[in-house]
Amino acid sequence: MGVKMPSYVEFVTQIMNGFVLGLLYAVIALGFMLILGVMGVINFSHGILFAWGAYFAFTLRPIIGFWPALMISPILVGFMGLILEFAVRRSYGKDPLFGLLLTFGAAMALEQIIRMIWGAVGYAIAAPKFVAGPFMFGFIAYSKYRLFLAGLAVLLIILTWLFLEKTPYGAIIKAGAFDSEMVMALGIDIKKLRTLVFGLGSALAGLAGVIAAPLWSIKPTMGVEAIMPAFVVVVIGGVGSFWGTILGGLMVGVVTSISVMFMPRTSQIVMYILMAIIILIRPRGMMGEKSILE
Amino acid sequence: MFWVFLFFLVLPYLLPFVGGYTYLGVEVLIWSIFALGYNILLGYTGLPSFGHGAFFGIGAFVAGIMQLRVTQGMWIPILAGIFAATFFGALVGLFLARKRGIYFALLTIAFSQMFWFISWGWDKMTGGEDGLSGINRLPVGIPGLFSIDLKDILNFYYFVYILFVICTILIWIIVRSPFGKTLQAIRYNEIRAKCIGYDTPRYKWLSFTISCAFSGLAGTLYVLLRNAAFSDVMHWTQSGNVIMMVLLGGGLANFYGPILGAGVFIVLRDLFSTLTEHWLLIYGLLFMFVIVFIPEGILSFFKKRQEKEELLVPRE
Repeated sequence: MGVKMPSYVEFVTQIMNGFVLGLLYAVIALGFMLILGVMGVINFSHGILFAWGAYFAFTLRPIIGFWPALMISPILVGFMGLILEFAVRRSYGKDPLFGLLLTFGAAMALEQIIRMIWGAVGYAIAAPKFVAGPFMFGFIAYSKYRLFLAGLAVLLIILTWLFLEKTPYGAIIKAGAFDSEMVMALGIDIKKLRTLVFGLGSALAGLAGVIAAPLWSIKPTMGVEAIMPAFVVVVIGGVGSFWGTILGGLMVGVVTSISVMFMPRTSQIVMYILMAIIILIRPRGMMGEKSILE
Repeated sequence: MFWVFLFFLVLPYLLPFVGGYTYLGVEVLIWSIFALGYNILLGYTGLPSFGHGAFFGIGAFVAGIMQLRVTQGMWIPILAGIFAATFFGALVGLFLARKRGIYFALLTIAFSQMFWFISWGWDKMTGGEDGLSGINRLPVGIPGLFSIDLKDILNFYYFVYILFVICTILIWIIVRSPFGKTLQAIRYNEIRAKCIGYDTPRYKWLSFTISCAFSGLAGTLYVLLRNAAFSDVMHWTQSGNVIMMVLLGGGLANFYGPILGAGVFIVLRDLFSTLTEHWLLIYGLLFMFVIVFIPEGILSFFKKRQEKEELLVPRE
């Protein structure tokens, strides 16, 4: 575990990598948190839906091109989410363990189906042509695709925020998370709402998978690799907090990248250390408030 | 309890008639210890941990490392495994003592992940991807008087059986003691238990730590059974497995549920894994099936509908 000193260029590049990674983590965690917040379900299959998004895009891109694949793959994953919700529905209002185990089983089954269709080996995915190669910031060369990814992630975060804050649907979703009985009493079909949210959260996971694929290369276990940071991000940011999740994602991304620079072997563990420190100082996470979820 | 002990006493002689083998019997006993211990936390305290696989794994790796690198015995590795699992359980428990429900579950997943990455990354100690092999089941006994050769699987079965009997009685005593009753009070209503004057975080911490000790013991025995500690002993699926055993058997409703669950689960897994190479698919679907159709477990089939539903509802 030797400590190595990075050069100035390497330092800047890694910090930027950290922000890109953090934005990606934030998008993954956002869909996860949406489902957690509205239904109280810890959706273990969020990661595998992310993987399905990547695999759909992998198959569709050579046929229909990058942009159509970017649009259609998340929709397909969203439909998978809608189907999954039929099973998950049984665990609403019960101990959180039931929803967790149900989606855990679904994740295992869906991962095995990926192996059956696409095989157990991984594939490297090239970045689309218009963002291939490096971009020059003065004398620092930086991957164009990562910049593109960061832009897309920011756009997604803003769109999700606008949807939740500025549309009547968002208002209903937030009200449903706060007091579902009252929302039902006002004549709103809460069941439909929950199905919709599950589909939406799944589509977000799928979209994250599509844009992450050229960065990580795709393999059946990529789902688990995506969901694990999401747990940490949500705990750090605070369950139920939108901006907390974004902040948590960025913190995890940057801290991971910094550790890649100094002690590469610890890079997968530092986020847990960060989490432990943060819940010692702020038991509900950075921006968490006391909620019905505790 | 007598009948359970009697059943497992004669089990090795019954297994060949139904196409089983002794190895499977040992596995059922080990997982029963794990699941019974875990149920102190889930069934009696009502805390949904999704990370006990980590403590099983800590027990396994520490026992393996002790035997391979430090001492050649049997008892010291086993005790060291239990101690390490208890120690790390107590440490993690400090973070969890004031949490419950979803937060509790999220944190246990995250911490178990951390231990997984440590075991994966620290390959000088744990063998990383390859794991540790060459662990022996050495003879136990009193020097000069007698010694039992545990390499023989039947002898090892009875070695584990004795530990299983001790653990079962111990856990029975724990859940029926005033301490155990307090845990159940916390499960039904933590705020009320607190108002009566119980220091509930301390009780929850103790419950977590005790269940980790049993996880550690099960882990050490598992390593001895397989003569190796592969990286999968630490894997998060182990956490899912143990919860599944508790729920499947009906651990929320009955003390013996986890034992039945462990038996059914391991037999099913053995059956499916010989039938198809895609058994992970069936395994996943089995999880979904149990949660959707029989979440209260096999042993609560005879309970009334309302009693069943009460088992599943989270408490205040």
